[in-house]
Amino acid sequence: MASTSDVRKGVVIKHQNELYVVVEFQHINPGKGSAFVRTRMKHLGTGKVIEITYKTSETIDIVNVQFQNMQYLYKSGDNYAFMDMNSYEQIEMDGDLVGDEGKYLKEGLGVVVGLYEERPVSLQIPKKIQYTVVEAPPAVKGDSASGNVTKEIKLDNGLTIQAPIFIKEGEEVLVNTETGEYSARA
Amino acid sequence: MSNWKDLKDNPRLKNIYETRLQILRLIREFFWSQNFVEAETPVAVRFPGQEPYLNPVAVDFLDPLKTSYRLYLRTSPEFALKKLLATGIEKIFEIGKCFRNEESFGGTHNTEFTMIEWYRAPGTYKEIMDDTENLFKYVGEKIGKNKLKYRDQEIDLSGQWERSSVKELWQKYICVNLDDYLEIQPMRKLVLDLGFTVDEKDEYEDLFYKIFLNKIENNLGKDVPIFVYDYPASLCSLSRKCENDERYAQRFEVYVGGLELANAFGELTDFKLQQENLQKDKELRERLGRPTWAVDPSFIAALESGIKPAGGIALGVDRMVLLFTGARDINEVIFQSVADQLEN
Repeated sequence: MASTSDVRKGVVIKHQNELYVVVEFQHINPGKGSAFVRTRMKHLGTGKVIEITYKTSETIDIVNVQFQNMQYLYKSGDNYAFMDMNSYEQIEMDGDLVGDEGKYLKEGLGVVVGLYEERPVSLQIPKKIQYTVVEAPPAVKGDSASGNVTKEIKLDNGLTIQAPIFIKEGEEVLVNTETGEYSARA
Repeated sequence: MSNWKDLKDNPRLKNIYETRLQILRLIREFFWSQNFVEAETPVAVRFPGQEPYLNPVAVDFLDPLKTSYRLYLRTSPEFALKKLLATGIEKIFEIGKCFRNEESFGGTHNTEFTMIEWYRAPGTYKEIMDDTENLFKYVGEKIGKNKLKYRDQEIDLSGQWERSSVKELWQKYICVNLDDYLEIQPMRKLVLDLGFTVDEKDEYEDLFYKIFLNKIENNLGKDVPIFVYDYPASLCSLSRKCENDERYAQRFEVYVGGLELANAFGELTDFKLQQENLQKDKELRERLGRPTWAVDPSFIAALESGIKPAGGIALGVDRMVLLFTGARDINEVIFQSVADQLEN
C-alpha cells in the first residue's frame, strides 16, 4: 500500500477494484481538515475520467507500473507506436490513453511510457518540445500597429500554433506542451 | 507561466495580466465608492491565526544586536482588520499578500497569494454575500464579461447567485440529515458506509471533508456561483453561532465551477468565547504536532473593548482573476509565481 505522497501522473491506482491511471493531481491544504491530494484518473478499460480526493492519512492501492524511456515512431491507425530504447522492442499504445498529447508527438521524440503488466497505460512527454517551423506567413508591414502580434505557423509534425510575427520558416521553436502555445525560439 | 518573456511573446498571457491589474483597480473602486476604508496591516505578524490545518511561513527578524525574533507571514489579515474595527471603523477592506506553506506550486495554489478581506461592523454575513455578488457583477460589467470560466465550464454571472445551507447540500447529495452527523462517531460510520477509509487519528473535520470534497464540492457552482452557508459549529472557530440553531455557525463559502473562492463569517465578537475557541484550536495544533504560538492577546483585548456585530470575508483575488480570464491555472494569473521563479 502506498500513501498520497506516491501519487504521480502516470501511476495506476486500484480504486474500488477498478484500475485507473492518474492524469492530473494536486496536493492541497486549504484548511479543510488535514491536507489532501485531488486526482483526476482515467479508467483503464473505459477511458472514463473520475475525480477522487484522498486525505493524507489514507492508504492508496498503487499498482506496480514500469516506467520506460521510449522513442516515438509513428501513428498506426488510432494507436501510437513507440520503441523501448533498452530492448528495442516495439509497442503500441491505445489512442484513447494517449489522448490530446498525441498531437505533440514527432518521430524520434523521447518519452516515458508507463507499462502495467506489459500494457502501455500512460505517456509522459517533455514539457517543452523543439520543432522546426515549416510554414510561417511573412509578417506584413503594419501588423503590429493593427494589433496583429501573432500569426499561425505550422510545425514539422503537422501541428499548428500561434507564434509571434517575427518567427520565420526554417527556425527552431519550443512549444509548451501544457498549454499548446509557443514558448521561445530554440 | 507568467514571466516577462511569456508576457512579451504571448498576447493571451499579456491580456490576462492586464486584466488582473484592471480587476485590482476595480475592486478598489467598488469598495471606495461605498466609503470603505482601505487598510494596510503587517504582512509579518508575531501571532498568526490558529487555524489547525494551515501552515504559516516562519521568518526571523534580527535587531542591530542580532537578537532574533520569530514572526510569521500572515495567512490572512483577519486579526489585524478586526483590531481596526475596534477603533470604530465601520467598513474596512485590505488587498494584500498572504502566505500559506506546504501548498502546491500551481493548479489553484501559490504559496504567496493575493487576498482581499472586507468587514462590515455593524454587518451580517448575509450582507457580505450581497457585497460579494455585487462585486463580481460590478467587475464583470466593467470588463465586459458576464460569464466566468473554470476548466471547461462557463458559469453565468448575470443572474441571481444560488444560496444553499450545508445541511441542504448534505440532504441533496448524500441523502442524510446532517443534524444526525454532528458528532465524530456517527460521522465515522457514515464515511465507512460511503466506501471511504477511516484512520483512527481522523478528527471530525477530516471525516466531514472526506465526504464533502468527494461527493459535494465538485457539484458546487456549476451553472451559477453558489453561497454555501451555516457550517457545523465545530468547524467555525471565528464565527458566531446561528441564532435559530446553535449546532451550526454563521460561516459561508463561495464556489464557482467547483472552485472555492472565499470564506466568510458572521464574526464572533464575544472575547471570552473567541479566546476559548482559539485556545482549543491551539491545542489541536499541538495534538497534530504542528508549531504553535500564543493566542494573539491584543486581538482578544480588541474584542473585549467592543466591536459591533460584524460580518467579514476573505476572497482569493488570484482565483477571481482566473475565473474572469479563463486562465488555465493560477500560474498564468500571477506574475512570477513560485513555480515560474523555480523553473527560470
